[in-house]
Amino acid sequence: MLRVYLLACCLLLGLSTTAHAQRKGDLFIRNGTVLTVTNGTLKNTDILIRNGKIAAIGQNLKVPEGVEVIDATGMYVMPGIIDAHSHIAISNVNEATNPVTAEVSVGDVLNPYDIRIYRALAGGVTVSHVMHGSANVIGGQNETIKHRYGETDPDALRMEGAPRTIKFALGENPTRVHGRGHNVPPLSRMGVEFIIRDAFHKAQRYMEAWERYEQERKRNPRAVPPAYNERLEVLADILRGNILIHAHSYRADEILMLLRVLKDFGIQRVVFQHANEAFKVAPELAAFGAMASVFADWWAYKFEVYYSTAYNAAILTRNGVITSINSDSPELNRHLYHEAAKTLKYGGLTEDEALALITINPARQLGIEDRVGSIEVGKDADLAIFSAHPLSIYTVCKKTIVDGIVRFDADRDPDDMRLRVDPERPVELAIRWGDRQHGHRCLEGIDLIEFLTETLQSEWQ
Amino acid sequence: MRLRCFAFTGFLLLVALPLDLSAQQPPGQQAPNRNDIPTITRTYAITNARIVVAPGQEIPRGTVVLRNGVIEAVGPDVPVPSDAWVLEGDSLVVYAGFIDGLSHVGVPAPRRQGNQNEQRRRVRNPGDPPPERAGLTPERDVRTLLKADDASIEKLRRVGFTMAHVVPRGRMLPGQGALIFLRGQTPAEMVYQGEVSLYAQLEPAQGVYPATDMAVLARFRQLYREAARRRQHATLYASDPRGLEPPPYDPVHAAFFPVLEKRLPVFFYTEDALDIHRVLALQQQLDFPLRLAGLAGSFDVLEKLKQANIPLFLTLDLPEAPKDTSKLGKLPDDSLAARHNTYLHVSSYRDVPAEIENLKARQAKERIKYYKTAARLHEAGLRFGFSTRGADPDKILGNLRTMIQYGLPEEAALAALTIDAARLLGIDRAAGTVEAGKLANLVVTTGPLFDEKTRIRYVFVAGELFKIKEQARRSRTREAATTPARADGTWSCTVDSPEGAIDTTLRIEGQSGTLSSSVMPEELPLEDLTMEGAQLTFSVMTNAYGRVEARLTLSGEAAEGTIDVPGVGALPMRCTRTSGPER
Repeated sequence: MLRVYLLACCLLLGLSTTAHAQRKGDLFIRNGTVLTVTNGTLKNTDILIRNGKIAAIGQNLKVPEGVEVIDATGMYVMPGIIDAHSHIAISNVNEATNPVTAEVSVGDVLNPYDIRIYRALAGGVTVSHVMHGSANVIGGQNETIKHRYGETDPDALRMEGAPRTIKFALGENPTRVHGRGHNVPPLSRMGVEFIIRDAFHKAQRYMEAWERYEQERKRNPRAVPPAYNERLEVLADILRGNILIHAHSYRADEILMLLRVLKDFGIQRVVFQHANEAFKVAPELAAFGAMASVFADWWAYKFEVYYSTAYNAAILTRNGVITSINSDSPELNRHLYHEAAKTLKYGGLTEDEALALITINPARQLGIEDRVGSIEVGKDADLAIFSAHPLSIYTVCKKTIVDGIVRFDADRDPDDMRLRVDPERPVELAIRWGDRQHGHRCLEGIDLIEFLTETLQSEWQ
Repeated sequence: MRLRCFAFTGFLLLVALPLDLSAQQPPGQQAPNRNDIPTITRTYAITNARIVVAPGQEIPRGTVVLRNGVIEAVGPDVPVPSDAWVLEGDSLVVYAGFIDGLSHVGVPAPRRQGNQNEQRRRVRNPGDPPPERAGLTPERDVRTLLKADDASIEKLRRVGFTMAHVVPRGRMLPGQGALIFLRGQTPAEMVYQGEVSLYAQLEPAQGVYPATDMAVLARFRQLYREAARRRQHATLYASDPRGLEPPPYDPVHAAFFPVLEKRLPVFFYTEDALDIHRVLALQQQLDFPLRLAGLAGSFDVLEKLKQANIPLFLTLDLPEAPKDTSKLGKLPDDSLAARHNTYLHVSSYRDVPAEIENLKARQAKERIKYYKTAARLHEAGLRFGFSTRGADPDKILGNLRTMIQYGLPEEAALAALTIDAARLLGIDRAAGTVEAGKLANLVVTTGPLFDEKTRIRYVFVAGELFKIKEQARRSRTREAATTPARADGTWSCTVDSPEGAIDTTLRIEGQSGTLSSSVMPEELPLEDLTMEGAQLTFSVMTNAYGRVEARLTLSGEAAEGTIDVPGVGALPMRCTRTSGPER
């Protein structure tokens, strides 16, 4: 047993060092069942990866010299899963002090040490859309990251070239935080609309002021520039179409409200996040070209989320709305393939349609579909290899590859995969936190809990 | 010690000669106020000492003459002036005085107001708080905040520090730093040079904007870019006011003008590798003159720091192993770390002891990374000084020995304490070595500086002699032991959560207590309540997060520490005692 681990460690060590030296890898995946998502299922197919990109897909490809081979016989290869709604790998989520905080960005506080990146990899997820929280009507800017776990430079996580996106939030969250919490608008759904329109109007005036200045400067070298405003700069970029809106929303009426507002301001691209009632307005969404990123079957956690259905994703898909299924959770993101599989039962989507919900569709919603989301020659080599069909309940994610580098390998998965640890705090064991809860609720665990508690108590009294 | 003082009156000689002079106070320190009694002499000669002029440059046996706060002469054959107070330096070693690259020494922590929570609620719009509440006081000058008799000065001087770059306390932009001497009867006497730095940290405001690191970064960008615009406006107006609106003024933006003109550097304090990345990114976006202090965790950022090529001031604080009563707790970190198996994979709960052992070994390995940081900075060719912010003065020399043990050459350690710090602060013409013409800042030791048995005997600050007594330290510990800290009473606490500040109240009486908070429906009993020295620990069972553990360090009526919330992390917690204990 020890020998196996030693072997594994050497391999892993080798992997991680090459990962640091060159961030893109070469690989050969042999004889797998390849779920391309955009081009059907290819049996007994090889994939050649060169310099982080998919270089060739086909049967009986030649292995170039020196390229590591992964034998995928009997296994399934799918595009790396893309989670369109996540809050992992960041130090802050909400700047909950103001209803509009467009100037803040979670991209400024990326945390590459977050173990949850590795855990997401263990669920086949290679890209996360890391979002600001939903406390504010116009929250901060989001960041699309690749799960290059092992790198410690925050910049290494950024998916270079991914479009800028920003978080909006409608309904109960902003009215609770600001209206009820601080007694500042919005106190109602009407107030939410007002905040958005007001912000856009201010941004328009800001753009006009700067345009006037730029004109005047040509005539008058002593022209004084207008006040600089980081927040309005970002809002102006939304109006210019340079930043995609991802709007936290639940109810059909507020979804329609935002569509009207965006139409008035000439903004064309929007993705509704959560959107539990989107099925009610699916034709309207399709007509606008709006997209939806939803849960498979999660609802009733607050009043505005009661009117929900597990058919949401299927109804949206059948109405021509580009739809994804997201996690919004560091736990749910580890089995997004299960979440997608639910649409086979609830709504009868095809396998490819179901897989699209967690691959090419979220890629489209993030504006990265030319890079990831399907297995095609020329795309990034972000892949997940499963022991069985990923929509099967029996499947296990075996390997997850980002840019041609194996970042998760179920066979080389030691207990402690953290990149750094607190040098001073008593060694923490996850189990210790919930021991009492487990004791009450879970009979099976009782002996384990007692054992652990005794061990720990004797050590840290 | 012997007084050679031929020029003095017979009366003085009569008084001085019969006494054992080692028991006598040296001149300049004998009176509580130097201005009351004329100083006998400001000339000193340290004779026959080993003089470490600069790292790697020694005079095996020589004399240093100090006059009027400046080194007058250094050399093997320097004559002793007739008016000099002579310190016989046989067997002693003379080093240049240490320079602290960044700290709050001499800047007392403001007393917390009891009604602060009340004030917090009174901010009408948390999105637009008054600058002071937002932590924006860059116009504040640390020279107005100094306290000459603050205990921190003596504590730091005792371990060899003579000068310090001090900055105000606060949050995001606490104010402007100054270079001070660690001596003086008044704040004015302490000041060497003002307007040395604009001090900044990634320290959010509590419950108001900017309440997160990301908002602090955004706020900094906003301030800097708007300040640039205002400066442009002001320049236009100054050249010719006709036809122009006068430029707006406010002290926050105006404080950035010298930074924009690259006359004043921004000193950023960084707590870990992520802070370093974030501040360097900010500097890339805005291009301001930057200095970094703190730098714990910089072992992960070496390449970027090399590229940035900026002055660095490494913290003199080092992590300490948590208390561990098991067998492993007795092992030194090296032996513990050697037991670590990176690839351990346990498969049964029976293996949990092995996992615990492995986690402890991993942690020891991590601590060693911090011990090695100074050496790694040095190997990477990065020049650095030290910062004492957050370091216990009594542990500084021990921590330096640890850094040396883990690869930092002794000469590099000495350079970082003296000449390199001086260079990076731009005062190397005046300080940092034992050379004629420089400030009379000296440390006189009983042996090699980094030897464990060596004691610091004298410290000179700008020519003023301080005898370092060892027993003073012992009596203090005894004092602390006889009056143990007590946790009893009602504490008003703030927990900095990712969602903003949470107000909580702690009530402690003897071995029991409760915790209540605006975010929880009921008062919760404190469990495992322990008080050891000044360390208060307890845990609380919450519905939402399970067991939450807190560890606080008490100092008088204040307590500070962390509360560990599963799944969220260790959140900073600060408390002020609002009532009790009954005495």
